[in-house]
Amino acid sequence: MNGLERVLATVAGRPHDRPAFLLNAGLAGAKLTGVPLARYFTDASAYADGQCAVRETFEPDLILSPFLFTALGEAFGSTSVIRGNSAPNLARPAAASAEEALRLPWPDLESQPRLLYLRDCVRELAGRLQGEAALVGVLASSVDLPVLILGMEPWLDALLFDRRNAQALMERCGEFIANLANALLEDGANIIALSANFNSPTVVTEEVIRSLTRPSLEASFREIRGPLILHHGGCRLAPHLKSYLGLPNVAGWVVDARDSLAEARSTLGADPVLLGNLEGPALDTRSPEAIHAECQRILADRAEDPHFILATSQADIPYDTPLENIAAIRQAVSELRAVAP
Amino acid sequence: MPDAQQAGIIKAIRCADRAGANLIIDTWAAGHSYEAAVMDLLTPTLESFGELWASAGGESSLAQGYVASKIAEDVLAKVLEERRKTNADVPLSKGAVVVGNVQDDYHPLGRKMISAFLRFSGWEVHDLGVDVSPEEFLDKAESLGARVIGASAMMYSTARNIGNLREEIDRRGFTGRIQLAVGGAVFKLRPELVAEFGGDGTAASALSASPLFDDLWNRSLAFETEKAKAETP
Repeated sequence: MNGLERVLATVAGRPHDRPAFLLNAGLAGAKLTGVPLARYFTDASAYADGQCAVRETFEPDLILSPFLFTALGEAFGSTSVIRGNSAPNLARPAAASAEEALRLPWPDLESQPRLLYLRDCVRELAGRLQGEAALVGVLASSVDLPVLILGMEPWLDALLFDRRNAQALMERCGEFIANLANALLEDGANIIALSANFNSPTVVTEEVIRSLTRPSLEASFREIRGPLILHHGGCRLAPHLKSYLGLPNVAGWVVDARDSLAEARSTLGADPVLLGNLEGPALDTRSPEAIHAECQRILADRAEDPHFILATSQADIPYDTPLENIAAIRQAVSELRAVAP
Repeated sequence: MPDAQQAGIIKAIRCADRAGANLIIDTWAAGHSYEAAVMDLLTPTLESFGELWASAGGESSLAQGYVASKIAEDVLAKVLEERRKTNADVPLSKGAVVVGNVQDDYHPLGRKMISAFLRFSGWEVHDLGVDVSPEEFLDKAESLGARVIGASAMMYSTARNIGNLREEIDRRGFTGRIQLAVGGAVFKLRPELVAEFGGDGTAASALSASPLFDDLWNRSLAFETEKAKAETP
């Protein structure tokens, strides 16, 4: 089986030769190819080279488009910085309030350079992977995109105290993200992964979820013409899944490393794909043996779960992570035999 | 103890009802004063809410903490206005402290909430903003005689820069004299990083920042007392 076939079998609950796995290994691709990060995150060919190197070295079954939310903010006029070997960080938002954000020119999917970078990454990777691995387009949802345009505090402030403009901004963001997701699917992505932190009870109130953020997600997700993975985005997800259950087109869930996979499965039911729960940003602090043992423990725990994909959660695997640490994940997966429902 | 009012304010915070909380406080202050509202009503209420927040493992909503910080800011502004109208003396501050996001960190929300709660509790807060170098932290702390620096970082990649701040404190000979409080989402995920990056303490929530700064300030004083004793022939 190749990676895409393994992922499709996992989605369908059909037998597959070994568990599928996913790495959030954007920075590892730059390390493997020796490309400076400033070029890697602006040149789609360089990014595709890096991810093909990740695929050849570790053989993950899913490959990600850039997990680069700053590019979405930059498309609206926000600025970002790259320091050292870290992924870009949003430095200055484009707007100071939801009201101001609504007056910004809306970026064009066909010509805005940062959006073209994201789309070209998907096109290049789709052409090179040729269906050997599942290709995931990574985006922020309508409730998180405003953070990248105006920053966290003004967005929280708008959701709590300026609902008219918050709702109007989410409507525009929802339409924008649905159009961008559909463009990525047309460009060759098989799946779209989205974060939705501002629909979490750990971030906003239940009333905000009920009246503002959840309706926005429903409207936006409904317009996306492909399967979606909902990513925990940094918040714990398992205890709060009820805020997300029933959203249109969601076929998979990436939980936080602190979450219980058993709890998540119990809430989700038997069929949705469940992904997790290695802590990606901590992989540089552990030994290959410890990572291998952790993978074995997780895989043994999910041995009876035909819809499980081992995945690193949270942010990117750090650049300085020894490659043998990442290889330990591949090793643990390859030691397992077939998965049968 | 105004239990009904306290319960009303906590309920308002839980519902992110800033206006509702302010109405309760305004009504109370009309019969007393905003100064009294701070001492007798809002301070114990925020302490209770802080305990609830911490006991929830940091999983209460960010929105609730944010609203609480806004209410503290609102009331503090009213206290200042009340003092201005009555020409009342400004009470002595607990002391000058310096806060900021560490170098390369651009996530200001947590730092702003902490600043609001520290000011509410009587600290003279010097907020240096985002992306603050170790030299800027130390220059400001040195010029003010501050005994506590509060450094905020959201992610692991930027939290590592707290180690550079620790080195700068030590390099300038302020070990023990200047205490380093650290905070941010990454320290909730991985509490062991507080010690690993050289922090002297952290708080379970923004509302617990002031007790932490009290403790660190006292540790700094105790350090100097011990040092003076040791140096006395």
